[in-house]
Amino acid sequence: MKKVFSMLMTAILVFGALGSTVFADNHSSNEAMVRVLHASPDAPAVDVYVDGNAVVEGAEFKASTDYLKLPAGDHNVEIYAAGTKGEQDPVISKSLTVEAGMAYTVAAINMLENIELKVIQDSMSVTEGKTKVRVGHLSPNAPTVDVGMIDGDAVFSGASFPMVTDYKELDPMTYDLEIRTSDGTQVKDLSGTMLEKNTVYSVFAVGTAENLEVLMLKDYTLMPDSMPQTGMGGTAQDSSSLLPIALSVVLFGAGAMIFYRRRTQEQ
Amino acid sequence: MKQLLLACSLLFLAACQEQPLVSTQAQGSSEKVLSQKEPSAIKEETTPTSGEESFSIQQQGIVPKRIEIPAINVDAKITSERLTEKNEMEVPSNAEQVGWFEPGTKPGNSGNAILAGHVDDKNGPAVFFDLKDLSAGDQIYVTDEDGKKLTFEVNKVVAYPKDDAPLREIFGPSNNQNLNLLTCTGTFDHSIQDHEERLVVYTSLVNS
Repeated sequence: MKKVFSMLMTAILVFGALGSTVFADNHSSNEAMVRVLHASPDAPAVDVYVDGNAVVEGAEFKASTDYLKLPAGDHNVEIYAAGTKGEQDPVISKSLTVEAGMAYTVAAINMLENIELKVIQDSMSVTEGKTKVRVGHLSPNAPTVDVGMIDGDAVFSGASFPMVTDYKELDPMTYDLEIRTSDGTQVKDLSGTMLEKNTVYSVFAVGTAENLEVLMLKDYTLMPDSMPQTGMGGTAQDSSSLLPIALSVVLFGAGAMIFYRRRTQEQ
Repeated sequence: MKQLLLACSLLFLAACQEQPLVSTQAQGSSEKVLSQKEPSAIKEETTPTSGEESFSIQQQGIVPKRIEIPAINVDAKITSERLTEKNEMEVPSNAEQVGWFEPGTKPGNSGNAILAGHVDDKNGPAVFFDLKDLSAGDQIYVTDEDGKKLTFEVNKVVAYPKDDAPLREIFGPSNNQNLNLLTCTGTFDHSIQDHEERLVVYTSLVNS
């Protein structure tokens, strides 16, 4: 009897172990999202390598990639003038540590002779019905600025190179914004800035003070936790899972066990 | 009695032997690319956006009301769908209409706009039944209520296990003006009343 019992137990254990791998959550939970931004006004077009693999080629000033997946942990980021890997040293070589489930903007900033990598963590959430925005001052020689409504209050104050402000949640609409110095002198007209609901933005001021430009990137948009269920099986060939069968076997086996043990005890 | 127990254990072993098959299937059924543009074309698609028009990006978006896909004879109405309290995307309750994920991006704006439709209902094929037959280069037309029409072109067609689709890649932000079409595919599992895979048709706006 003991032998049969232990066989049964083994079977349950084996089944359990296999079962857990089958039904495990396979989400790519150990990955981070990283995008690269070229914000060095006088640097040439560049190739970006992560751990020796090209992720962007020929990216010019103001170019940005979409988010790329990277395993969590340490990575070596190297930036070369386009087409010079193997011939010249990288313009930048830096270690980058990313955490699972986080999103980052990795920006090459400052003038070429002082070029550096700035790593910024990006938001991945927004209150439904709201919009969220922040401002990055990536113009090496531009003064400290505010960003605010034209003829109105400042939304972000005292941003200086190479600072990135915290996010602010706002009502989604079209805003007439401007970049201005603290004495109110307009540096850049941003009227007609449309901020969509459920969207997170980074607005980066790039270039030199003489030729200031603005890049607006989307960091996040509201998304569901799962893929929608878009079928009811009307055209499916029959296939039933093994789970119900296996479960009924377990229950039946357990029942039989109890029944058998009782009988043995009664004897 | 012993015989009964033995029968039990045998049944068990049989179930166990089946198990690895299931697990292999689970591993084997990861991302399947059904169609994809030539690498050179892809390269063009993913080239980083040059900053030229970056500031006035996303202003072309429309509220989609109708979708036409001539390659698979689809001409359907589009409804606006929301997020449920469980943070799931609602889909039209009928088999004929296509749902636009309204909390997300409008088609034509930079980002990934989403349209989802049923592959089948309880009785037979539904609006996106033939979606799997699309291939790179096929065109999709989306129209708003004023008749403004945007044209998108298929970049690639990929099937993912239903719980392992790259949600951020599909729904998340992008510099490109993308429209992704979703439906179910793969075997229908009666025990969970769901298909085992999800089909994603990735498309991008064609500049007219």
